[in-house]
Formats: sequence, C-alpha cells, structure tokens
Amino acid sequence: MRYLFILLLSLNTLCVKADEIYNLLKIPNLKVFKIDNKLGIKYLNTKKDIVFGASKNIKCKKTKQKNLEKKFQIVSNNMSKYNSEFLKKNNIKFLILCENLFVSKINTGGIPNHIKRSLILDIDFNPYFFERMIHHEIFHMIQNSNKNLFNEDYWIKLNDKNFKYAECSTCSDRLGLEMYETTYGFLTEYSQSIPSEDMAEIFSFLMTKNNEVENKILKDPILRSKVQYLKNNLKKIDNNFSF
Amino acid sequence: MIKAIKPSKSEKILFFSLIIFGFITLGFFFSIKNKCSFVKKINLAEINFEKPENIVLMDVECGNVVIELYPDISPASVKRFKYFTKKGLYDGTAFYRVIENVLVQAGDLEFGNIDSIDYSKIGTGKSGIGKLKSELDNEFNFEKGVLAFARGDELNTEDSEFFIILKDIELYNGEYTPLGKVLFGLDVLKKIKSGNKSEYVLRPDYVYSLKMYKKIN
Repeated sequence: MRYLFILLLSLNTLCVKADEIYNLLKIPNLKVFKIDNKLGIKYLNTKKDIVFGASKNIKCKKTKQKNLEKKFQIVSNNMSKYNSEFLKKNNIKFLILCENLFVSKINTGGIPNHIKRSLILDIDFNPYFFERMIHHEIFHMIQNSNKNLFNEDYWIKLNDKNFKYAECSTCSDRLGLEMYETTYGFLTEYSQSIPSEDMAEIFSFLMTKNNEVENKILKDPILRSKVQYLKNNLKKIDNNFSF
Repeated sequence: MIKAIKPSKSEKILFFSLIIFGFITLGFFFSIKNKCSFVKKINLAEINFEKPENIVLMDVECGNVVIELYPDISPASVKRFKYFTKKGLYDGTAFYRVIENVLVQAGDLEFGNIDSIDYSKIGTGKSGIGKLKSELDNEFNFEKGVLAFARGDELNTEDSEFFIILKDIELYNGEYTPLGKVLFGLDVLKKIKSGNKSEYVLRPDYVYSLKMYKKIN
C-alpha cells in the first residue's frame, strides 16, 4: 500500500500537461509559430511561462505577440544566411522563442541541444547583441554536433602561452560582449572565458561583422590563426560554407 | 380515524412519469459508464484489401483497428513490425503513454507486457534485437491515424515501441519513422484510457492482440 501511495504521488508530481510538442521535445507549453520548409526549420514559441530541466532549473516566459512578430523577422533573416543542408548537418531544426531565459538563475541568450535538435532563444536579449547572439548559439550547435572538428586543446595552444581561460563560462567575470578596438587574440572579454565561447564569439562576429574581423586579423596573428581554424573546419562540414 | 386519500389522476401521471424518468436516467448512466458504447463495429468480411499482406488487425478493449503498413516507405521498420506481430510479441503490451486526442503509445516488450508490467521501467524496455536506423521522409504527412515507431531523444533509436496519432501533427513530419496508417477503427483508439493530465497511464489499457490479416473464405 505504501509503495502504491508513493507511486501515485510521484506520478502526480510528474504531471505535465502533455501534448504533441511535449512528446517530441520534452518542453511544456510550446506552440508552433512558423514552419520554414525551405530551410527545414520549425519555429516554436512559449504560450505560457515554462519551467523544465532535470531540476526545474530552466525558466523562460511566455512570448508577447508584438515582440514575437518583431524578433521573428530578425531571427529568420539571420537564419537565412545558412542553407538547409548545413542546418541539417548541424542538427538545427527547432528554434524555440521565449522571453527572459534563465538557467539556474543565470540569464542566458540561448540553450542549444543538438540531441533534440533544438535551440531555445531569448527574444528579450539585449537588442544590441541579439543578432550576434543567434549566431553565437548556432555555433554551439555546430560544435556540439562536430566535437571532433573543433578541438579545444588545439585551440588553447593558439593563444599566448601565458594566457589561461577560466574554469567555466559562468564562473568567470569576463562577461563583456563589445568588440575590442585593439585585439590580442580575442574579440571580446567574454571570448576569454572558455575555448568554446571564444570560438562562438569569433564565429558570431564573422557572421555579422565579417569585414571588421577581416581587418582585425591583419594585425593580430593569433586571431588570424583562430579564424583560419574555424573556416577550415566549417568547410569540412559544408564545402560551400562561407561568411 | 384517518381517512385514506385516493391519488388524483394528475398525481398518478406524475408518479409514473417519475418512475419512467428514473429508468431512463439509469439507462443513460450505464451506457455512458460503458466507454465502448457508440463505437462502430467493423465487419472485415465486407472489406477487400488491395494488399492484404500489409494489413494488421489490432484488438483492443472497444473493438478492432485495421491498419495498413507501408513497406515501400519504411522497409526495414515495417519488416521488424511484422516480425514482432507474427511472433505475437505485441499481444498484451500496455498503452502506457496516452495523450488524450493526440496519441496512444504501446509496444514495450520488456516492461510493458500485462504479465510482467513494471511501472518504474515502462518505456525503457528493449526488444533484444537492437535498435533500428530511423527511416525519415519529409514528404510523408503525419495525418490522423498514422502509425509510427517511437524513439528516444536521438534518431536511430527505434526498437519496438509504436504510437498512433489521433489528429494531424505536421510537426512530426520527418521526425519519426512512419509504419502505416489506420484504415478503420480510429474511434476505438480514442477510447483508450488516458492519464488525464499526465502522459503516463496508471492501470492502462492493453493491446489484446495484434495479428497479420488473413482472409476468411
């Protein structure tokens, strides 16, 4: 009897209003916003506030229609910079738009999940960095889908031998997202947090401010070798890929 | 002394009306309580199938479901589904995951069988013959009645579990391996016990049997 009670109780506490999207992505309260058949992307948005994750540590708010319409245009314009094959190879299929995304009480721009082929994006992210943030998160999907191509040990060796990354991206105070005027191997302060964030920062600038990066690498050999490393490996995923 | 008062005619009519109303109410109560009421029965003798070798019959609590398999679309997956069906391995597996008016899922051969059901592990069972590669087709429409192989979070993890959708779900196009489609008996599947708000069902309904179709002459 006691076990039955525990079972009933656990089933009750695990209750989520299940629907067909929850069945697929294991994220509650989502609805289909747009389906882009050309790129093979399905855009979803939050119809209510969401809380999920192993310890309910991921939270995001319901989207407001006006904000959703406005930011969707920006997101879809930026996604059109990629081709459908490239997106497919990198497991980018479901883009989930929500507002005020938090992971373990830390505000974040996006949550990539290459296994579920989904990327959650905070459409309330700082508008100044919003477009770049999209590509930054896309890079995490690319890297996670191609771990063998973006070797972090190799990447670390491209830096000055006296430089050390932080232990993790959230345990560092290197959070600045502005592009440095003069670079010494890094484009932003956040680049110096961990290797994968460094790669994602460079990738996102190459996608949004390519000319500026090309100018900077003329005077910065470390940055130049990093850019070259990214370009070479992206070509291995898709020979036609270009910034 | 108390005088006996005879009921008037109108009182008699009212009395009998109340009794009749009571019987009607009881009748409704029992017919509604029986969840299989109003489910259309299928007469298989009246149906001619174009490809009888691809027809399977599922027997569940409220009746039969007739499903056509699509080996041309998902050859390896349909071959496996037929294998389990012919071996009778799906018989007695629980519809442990039911989202009302959305989908019903069964086919856990290890932990979902009525004889050895394990609520703590149901949905994680293995068939023992390994995982299958997903056979995805973006052109295939996941319309109401489609039968597909369920999988884990990752692609290429299909084994034995299957689900049938009870409404059109465009989002599933290119996501799951289609196996076939219900030709008759979708209303039977809609009667399968759901878990109310939860997707998991306690004391679930079962697949009584799943068999390949054989024409009776």
